[in-house]
Formats: sequence, structure tokens, C-alpha cells
Amino acid sequence: MPRSRRGSGHRSRRRSRRLAADLGLLVVAAAFVLPLAWVVLSAVDPHAGLRVKIPDGFTFGNFDAILTPDITYTPLLNSLILCGGATALTVVCAALAAYPLSRYRSRLNRPFLLSILFATSLPITAIMVPVYALFVRINLIDTMQGTILFFAASQLPFAIWLMKNFMDGVPKELEEAAWTDGANSAQSLVRIVLPLMGPGLAVVTVFAFVMMWGNFFVPFMLLLSPDQMPASVSINDFFGNRGMVAYGQLAAFSVIYSTPVILLYVLVARRLGGGFALGGAVKG
Amino acid sequence: MIARRIGRALPLTPALVLLLLFLAGPIVYCAYIAFTDLQLTGQAHASFVGFANFRRAFHDDAFLNAVWLTLVFTVLSSLLGQNTLGLALAALMRRASKPVRTLTGGIVITAWVLPEVVAGFLLYAFFRREGTLNAILGFLHLPSQNWLFTLPILAVSFANVWRGAAFSMLVYSAALDEIPDEIEESAEVDGAGGWRRMWHITLPMIRRSIGTNLMLNTLQTLSVFGLIWVMTRGGPGDRSQTLPLFMYEQAFQNSMIGYGTAVALLLLLVGSLFSVVYMRLLRTEV
Amino acid sequence: MRPTAVSILALALVTSAASLTACSSGSGSSPDTVKVSFKESMDNTVKVTDNYLADIKKQFEKEYPGKKVELVPIKASDADYYTKLEQMLRSPRTAPDLVYEDTFLINSDITSGYLKPLDSYLAKWQDWGQFIDTAKSAARGEDGKTYGVPDGTDTRGLWFDKRVFEKAGLPADWQPKSWDDVLAAARTIKQKVPGVTPLNVYTGKPAGETATMQGFEMLLYGTNDGAGDPLYDKSSKKWIAGSQGFKDALSFVETVYKDKLGPDVSDALDPNYRNTVWGELMPQGKLGINLDGSWLPQSWGKNSGHEWPDWSKDLGLAYMPTQHGQAPGKVSMSGGWTWSVPAKAGNPDLAFDFIKTMQTKANAEKWYIANSGIAVRKDVAGDPSYASAQPGIKFFTDLVASTHYRPAYPAYPKVSTAIQEAMEGVTTGDASVEKAASTYDSTLKDVTDDQVVTQ
Repeated sequence: MPRSRRGSGHRSRRRSRRLAADLGLLVVAAAFVLPLAWVVLSAVDPHAGLRVKIPDGFTFGNFDAILTPDITYTPLLNSLILCGGATALTVVCAALAAYPLSRYRSRLNRPFLLSILFATSLPITAIMVPVYALFVRINLIDTMQGTILFFAASQLPFAIWLMKNFMDGVPKELEEAAWTDGANSAQSLVRIVLPLMGPGLAVVTVFAFVMMWGNFFVPFMLLLSPDQMPASVSINDFFGNRGMVAYGQLAAFSVIYSTPVILLYVLVARRLGGGFALGGAVKG
Repeated sequence: MIARRIGRALPLTPALVLLLLFLAGPIVYCAYIAFTDLQLTGQAHASFVGFANFRRAFHDDAFLNAVWLTLVFTVLSSLLGQNTLGLALAALMRRASKPVRTLTGGIVITAWVLPEVVAGFLLYAFFRREGTLNAILGFLHLPSQNWLFTLPILAVSFANVWRGAAFSMLVYSAALDEIPDEIEESAEVDGAGGWRRMWHITLPMIRRSIGTNLMLNTLQTLSVFGLIWVMTRGGPGDRSQTLPLFMYEQAFQNSMIGYGTAVALLLLLVGSLFSVVYMRLLRTEV
Repeated sequence: MRPTAVSILALALVTSAASLTACSSGSGSSPDTVKVSFKESMDNTVKVTDNYLADIKKQFEKEYPGKKVELVPIKASDADYYTKLEQMLRSPRTAPDLVYEDTFLINSDITSGYLKPLDSYLAKWQDWGQFIDTAKSAARGEDGKTYGVPDGTDTRGLWFDKRVFEKAGLPADWQPKSWDDVLAAARTIKQKVPGVTPLNVYTGKPAGETATMQGFEMLLYGTNDGAGDPLYDKSSKKWIAGSQGFKDALSFVETVYKDKLGPDVSDALDPNYRNTVWGELMPQGKLGINLDGSWLPQSWGKNSGHEWPDWSKDLGLAYMPTQHGQAPGKVSMSGGWTWSVPAKAGNPDLAFDFIKTMQTKANAEKWYIANSGIAVRKDVAGDPSYASAQPGIKFFTDLVASTHYRPAYPAYPKVSTAIQEAMEGVTTGDASVEKAASTYDSTLKDVTDDQVVTQ
């Protein structure tokens, strides 16, 4: 029977195609995993060098050596204050701003959204030199709050954009019921809209946090006192001494410093499915 | 009526204030400083110098070198690297078995989520003379290289691909998911081969995603600083000094804040140009 | 209903409020605390400065009850340190009360209004009379006022490894008479002792002022008769462009790296290469000749990171010869660091009190020895316990007679950067000597406002 012959040919073609795809992906995965393997293996290797190798021995000595207030705890705490504060500020401001943009029609919505979109893609790196000069002028240089405010402002355009898109997905009818019960917009935002867009809120939060956690240039420019430096800058100071770096310790620190963002990502991706909807949110 | 309108716009204020003060403010300030000779040291008062900084830039070999390297870096790592690899990964993932898909996705995304400086260190170690890449080349009896010295721009470009491919992969995965299965299947039944199907059917259907992805990648790549700073600091010489690094060096290492800011303003203009193109692509969405 | 969104938002509000209030109470200086900024070595094992200042802090807090010292180490490579420091000096919020300034930068920072004149304090301080005149003038601005108290000076010469020299068949009392002699010795080492870097000359932007002073200027100031300044013409007050000496010095650097007599170029261009030189290459006998400063032994003392008790047996010292051996025969450069009070310091009086504690005769001597510096106080210099404290002190102190000082005018730091760029060009081979020199000439015009005279 032609039909079944075609079906089996189809299946075998599928199988061979899947095999080819698997192979292709595995090659890429192998290339991508090498640098990651280096950091993980070196972290527990008592004699770590610059190349990937099976550790000759197993040790937590590298972690012991760096788990001191100076090297690890203070910078991580600073990172947490900076990124936590800025993320919180970003999320709150973005949620508030997205509400009127999503719910009311106004002649100003379109120009506002266009400017937001425009700002989304500006290279923030380029304005860091003037931001530094400005912060000296207005006396915000080397302050945590100044850096938090700038961080929040730099993440806001994208956060508002994402937030508005997610909010558009919440049907207006649900709110109207609350309005007839006498709830005002603030109440309906907090009680109805936001709870319904939990996943979206999580995406915005995690995305903002991850972006800031890894950012080097902003704190590098805006903070000066060593005791305020977040991990992204301190890691470079402590291990900038190339020739004589204890690579095992550098790897151990990298592992500790990277773990929070990876965990956050995994948590969110688990709940929201692969790609954590970000791909969908930015695509045209 | 007016009161209600104001009431409705009220929630916008915190965001608006932040954006005006800390984003629009610096941009305006940038445009101002770019026309002065402000210095970090060695100067009592800054003064207005008109277009001198810009004239200087276009006669400065080091600036032109930075423009050229930025172009190379962007084309290699964003256009050719992240974009193509991301699309390839997304396409392969649709066909691959689940465990392989999960594994590869996990690894590629981890590279993306890692903090910039950590990624810089990992790839520094990878490309160093004593690093993993040369170890592999040695094992395969291929000639090894001191990558960070001889071809630093290539090394940092690869680093940027490693770090950024996941973003394109996510964007393209989402785009490909939206192509109805029937279309692909009917093309297959018609006997269209893999490449032809990709070229004639898949790519045209996701062309808008390609456009936005390219724009976002390019803008992202234009502002890469930490990665290059950690790997090479723009050196040796100025062989990997892209515009952001050039700008930083002029402003702070050479103390010419005014000149560095002029370079920043140019970078900002290029960025805005891309941004406008990006907005046109998204126009229907707003 | 899902609790996620509300809890995220609540958490967000709480943390943002908490973090904003938590840090607004930070910074701001108390009238009883003196903040002292200094350069901390990138090499984690080297703690010479940290230990010394910790000791002074203890003395100071005992001497001035109720006062506190806050040490603010800045951990950075040379070039990054100056940038960070200047950034801090710009704002009253970040300006410390006392900073450690390299003398090459001081005029530049004085012009910017970053530093406070100390004349009124110095007039009432007896010990100031003990400082030698060149040291007093090191931190004097163009306005005639003094902006810093120097904590020592330095000279430069050739360190050579007798172990390497023996293997190469070179004499243990080596003293080159010209640049060619230096290169010849390096070539012999390259030929006879594999695995050893024959000659180190610092180069390039990553090395910063180290490249300019230890490397380039030690060559350049040996190209003339030793009387005039080959960088700056004092009579016309202009910077010198297009000199043959400049090109000759660049050629020397080019030869060192092109003929592979020097370190691998990628190593030489590592910002922390000097730490590798002092901490690893020299103690391990992997460097034949090193053109470097008088302070090296500070990293080899007891408890200072790279203990090397035998260094004075293993190493020999030779002065750097002039180009062709012409009079005066030897070259040295001197610089040094000063303690200065920022113009925007909150507690300048207390800061000067801290200087006084640091600069008692006993503490000054302790520092000169710990830091392998050359004394700038007459009472210490004349003290036999200082002269015999460390081998090498006599050699380097004698060099003071034939030393040169940098033209540390306000534009100097930018001129220095231009020199480093020229060096880097010939080191990597990206530029020829001619090209690098002509790029220098045009950069010089840009950074000095055209105050240039062509020779």
C-alpha cells in the first residue's frame, strides 16, 4: 500500500533527521561547555591552571580561601543591595506606568511608547562617561542610592515595554466587575491585574535582576569606595593580577557569584516553560 | 475631566521622573560636555571648544581604528555569529530529541545568564596561550596561537558569540514555534529539501523576527565593555579597542573627559539610528 | 488565585524602601575620623604598605585619643590607581582626608585644584627643616606653594642575576659602558641560557608610568650630555618634539622586543607584569637583566610576600650607562611619592597630624627601610643604622648625584601616556620607530596646547 510505505519512509527519514539534529546540537554543546567545565573543575582542583583538566585531587580549599568578608561576603551583599533595590524600584515603577498605558486610551500613549521603545535600545555604555560627570556635579557619585536610581532608570524602558505587553493580556472585563463593586484603579491593579499576570511580573523581575547582577560598567563608573563595590567589580580587582592569579580561587568565586542568577533563571524557566517567554515578548 | 486625566496619568510619574532625571538628563549633559575640553586632571577650568573634539576624532588614527574594530566586532559577533548560530540552534532544536535539546539549551543559556565579568574570565582562560583552546589544537596536531595577542579581536568576537547566542536562539525558537506545522509538512510532501524549505518558506515567514533580532543584537554588541575589558583591556596595542573602550580610555586614562564624551555622543547617534530602524520594524505593534 | 505577583510586588516595595534608607545614612565624614587613601598592591601577598599604615594608625589613635583613622586601600594597577584617585578627589563626598600621590602627577592635580597647599602647616612643623631641598621641591606647585610631604625618593639602575651571568659566562662584577654593552650581554644570555628572559625593559600603556620612567626615560636621558632635559625645554617652556634621542630610545625598545631579548610581548603588556618580575621571575632566576627601581627589595624581605633572603648574593647592581658611554657616563631617574591633603578633605588639620606621626624620624626610617626607599630626611640619611639596614642602599643613594627629575608639569601625565603609546607601537611591531615618533609629535601638540618646539 502506497500510503503505509510512504508512512514508514517518512518515519525513517524523520529518525535520521533527528539523529543529524542531535549530532549538530551536541557539537555546539561540546564547544560551549568547555569554558564552563573549566570553571567548575578548577573550583575544586587544588592545582588549577588555565586549561580544562580532570582535577588532580578534590578540595574545598579554594572556597575556604575566598569565603571571607573582604573577598566574598561584602561584595555579594553590596550586589544584593544594589540589584535588589534597583530591581524593586524598576518593577514598581514599571507596573505603575504600564497600567495607564495598557488601560486608558490617550493621544499621548503612542509617542510615549515610541520613546520608551527608542530608549530600550540605546547603548547605555555610551552615556556612562557623562553620567559619571553628572553624578559628580549633583553629588551622587559613590552612593548606593545614586547607583540604584541609575540602574533602575536604565532598565525601566525595557521593563515598561514588557510589563505593558503582559498587562494587555489581562482581559479588561475582569476589572470592570471590580469597578462596579466600587474598587478604584489602584485596588484593581493590585488585587486583580497583577495577580493575573504573575508570570509576566516574574519575567520582568528576573530579567532586570539578572541584567544588573552581571553589569560591570555601571558600578565601575559610579562607585569608588572599595567597601561599596559589588561583586562584578571586586572580582576584577581581586583577580586582575593576571600573572599570579590563584586560578582555583578565581573559579571558586566565579561559581559562587554566578549561582544566584542561574538559580533564579532555572526557577522561573521551570514555572514558565522554556525560553521563559522572553523570546516571545521581544520578538517583532 | 481634566482632573480625571491627570489622575489617570499619575501612576506614570515615578517612571517618568526617573527616566527624565537619569536617562534624558545624562544624554543632554553628554551633548553639552562633548563641546567642552573638560579634563580629569591638569586643568583649572573647562571651556567651550565648539566642534574641536569632533574634528580631532576624525583626524585621530586611534579613533578610526576603534571605529573599524567596532565594525569588525559587530559584523563578526552579532551579524554572522550570534544571529546565524542562534537561528541554527533554534532550527535544529525543533528536530532534535528532548534530552539533547534540554542539555544544549541549558548549556547555551547558562553562558548567557553568567555575569559579564565571569564570562570574560572564562574566555580569557580559554583563549590564553596556556588555555584550553591551544590544548585542543595541540592534541589535534594543529598549530597553536597566542590568540589574545595575535588575533584579539577574533577572540573577543567569539567570546561575544558564546555569550550572546542564547538570546537569538530564544527569539528564533519563539518565532519558529508560530509557523503552523501544516505549512512545513505540506512543503515536505511537495518534496522540498531542507535547505530550500528553510530559504523559501521558513526564513520569509520569520523575517520580522530576523529584523528585530539583528537590531537588538547589534545594539547589544555596540555597547559591550566588560567582556573586552576583562579579556584584553582593548590591547595589545589597540588591536581590540572598540569604541566603548576607546571612549573610556580617552576620558579617564588620558584624562580627556570632553573628548571621550564626544566619542560617546557619536556612539549614541549610531545607536539611535539603529534604534529608529528597529522601531520602524515594530511599528505595527504600537 | 496565585500569590506570586502580589508577594513579588510587596517584596519589591519593602526591599526598595529598605535599601534606599539604609544607604542614605552611609558616607559623609565624621570630624574625628581621618580617612587615608593609599595604593594597595595587586599582588595579594605583598602587604608592606598595609602593615606600615596599620602600625601608624595604632600609634596615632593612641597619641590622639578620641580620633580615628580609616584606611581606604585602593587596589588597582598603576594607571587605574591614578584614575580612581582623581575621580575621588573631584567630589567632597569621596575625597579622603589624605592621599598618596605620585610626584609626576602632582602638578597636574594642583592645577585642577584637587590639592590643598600645606605651607601654613609646614611653617609650624620643625621636622620640615630636616627634608633635603630636592624633596621639598618635589611637591611644589608652579605657584610656589608646597602641596605634599615626600616619604622618600628613588633611583634606578640595572639589576642582574649572577646565577644567570655565571651560566652565560659573563662577569659577576658586570658594568656596561654603553647601550651596546647591555644588548651584547642580553644576546649572550639568550644564546647560552635558554629558558631565561635576557633583559626586561618595561613598555606600553598597561605598565603606565613604570614604562615611561623605568623604561623610556632611563634611555632618553642618556642620549645627550646629561645637562639639558631631552623632554622639555626649560628656556622656551616648551615640550620637545622630533629629537634624535627620542627615536634612538625607541629603537632600543624595538630591538629588545624584535630580537626577542625581552619578555614575551603579551607578558610585557600585562598591566601587572611588574609583580611577576619581582615576585616570580627574579627570585626564580628566570630574568637576566632588569632595568628597574631601587625599591625592589621591599618585596623580598621577611613577611613581605616573596621572601628571598639570598637576593643580595644572587643579584648584582650596575648603573645604567649613557647611549655611547659619553659623559657623564651614567643615568638615573628619580621620582617618589608624597602625602597630600585634598582640597575637598573634610579634616585637613587631622590629616596633617597624621603626616606628622608618619614622619617622625623613627617612623620615617622604618618606612624607608620597609619600602626600600631612599631617605629624604637628613637625620635619617646620616644615621648609620639606616645606611647599613639593607644591601643596595649605598649603591642607589650614590646614584642621587647623577639622577634626573621628570619635567612634572601639569601636562606631563598626558605626555607620559603618549610616550607609552609610542613604546607600545614599536613593542608590538604595529608601528615603526619613525611612525611611532611622528605620532608622538602630533599627540604632543594636542595634549600640550601646541606648546611644542621641534628639534
